[in-house]
Amino acid sequence: MEFFKKTLDPVIALMAIAILDIFLFLVVGAWTVGGGETMMTGLIAELFMGDDLKRLPFWNLVFVPDAGYWKIYISLGMLFGAFVGAKLSNEFYLRFPRRMSEWVMITIGGLLMGIGIRLAFVCNVSTFFGLTPQMNLGGYLAISGIVAGAWVGSKIYKKILEG
Amino acid sequence: MSVIGECIIAFIFGSAVGLLVQRSRFCNTAALRDAMLFSTYRNTKALLVAMMVLTFGFTLFMTFGEGKPMQFDVGLNTFAGLFIFGVGMVLAGACTVSTWVKAGEGNIGAVWALIFTFVGMFLFSLVWTVDFWPPAAASMTGEPNLEALQLGFANAATLQEKFGIPAVVFGLIQVAVLYAIYRAILRKEARQAGHHRDVAKSHVAITAAPASAPVSDPASAE
Repeated sequence: MEFFKKTLDPVIALMAIAILDIFLFLVVGAWTVGGGETMMTGLIAELFMGDDLKRLPFWNLVFVPDAGYWKIYISLGMLFGAFVGAKLSNEFYLRFPRRMSEWVMITIGGLLMGIGIRLAFVCNVSTFFGLTPQMNLGGYLAISGIVAGAWVGSKIYKKILEG
Repeated sequence: MSVIGECIIAFIFGSAVGLLVQRSRFCNTAALRDAMLFSTYRNTKALLVAMMVLTFGFTLFMTFGEGKPMQFDVGLNTFAGLFIFGVGMVLAGACTVSTWVKAGEGNIGAVWALIFTFVGMFLFSLVWTVDFWPPAAASMTGEPNLEALQLGFANAATLQEKFGIPAVVFGLIQVAVLYAIYRAILRKEARQAGHHRDVAKSHVAITAAPASAPVSDPASAE
């Protein structure tokens, strides 16, 4: 099938995603990823800590671990959809970062993303595909933040690439 | 809707998104990073188009009180959190979407980024409290609360309530702004393409010149 041979125009892909997102907005709420990831963090932590997790107010009041939280399944769906797409177009293979510096950057980057999402209560997906299109004040704050952050990140990234 | 129904719909939505993002190689990180570092806009344009469609769609339904907009207070923490996120996503080379999509393609670096996103979330949950900043429930009253650096809650629906103008009107203004940015990018790309043509032409002229006659030598030209 042609779909699995050629790269899809991202404008077309994102238009389709936007229309699906409007449907999701009508049924459960706009596309978001950070909330589902937080709930997964809670579920994993519960696995390790058991009832001790309840002593942390965040997991007792804000995100009480619950496997029936719909946002989790958006993330799992993305993993599944991407796996199917990669398999059918023969693009699935195991890739490892080669240099030590890449592992370090990914580790720091991952940590910063997790901390940032929890500080803001918002991830990049809600910023661009939820809050801003709803004209939520938070969307404009978040876009200013992510653009400034990406600029600083790009400067660091460039330094590392050159150095 | 039942919990299971919600989860199934979320999974179907996620699968479609995963497939579309995998096939199109869209990346939110690249949409910002490539525009800033390399002045290329492939992903930026797609992001802007999606935001235009979404702004119109969301505000249209919000005009009639339909849909489920996000409801929570925002403040300085929204800016600061996304700033930290922005640095992190460029370093990791992936955002929340592409970590899942790249993990589905077998990218172990993306799996590693995901694991540490979880770790970062857990670490931050240790410092969360009920009654003081960072984002504490008690400081979020729905109204601006400057002492706690909270700005309250406002979106297209609250604008409609306040000014009596349909939310979609505000939405269309935002679409126009996004379109202006989109047009500016197209113009910049046209300039870049023109520049590339000029450079290519001068390359041809330079490489062709010595083969013909040394007319470019200023001494002989005079």
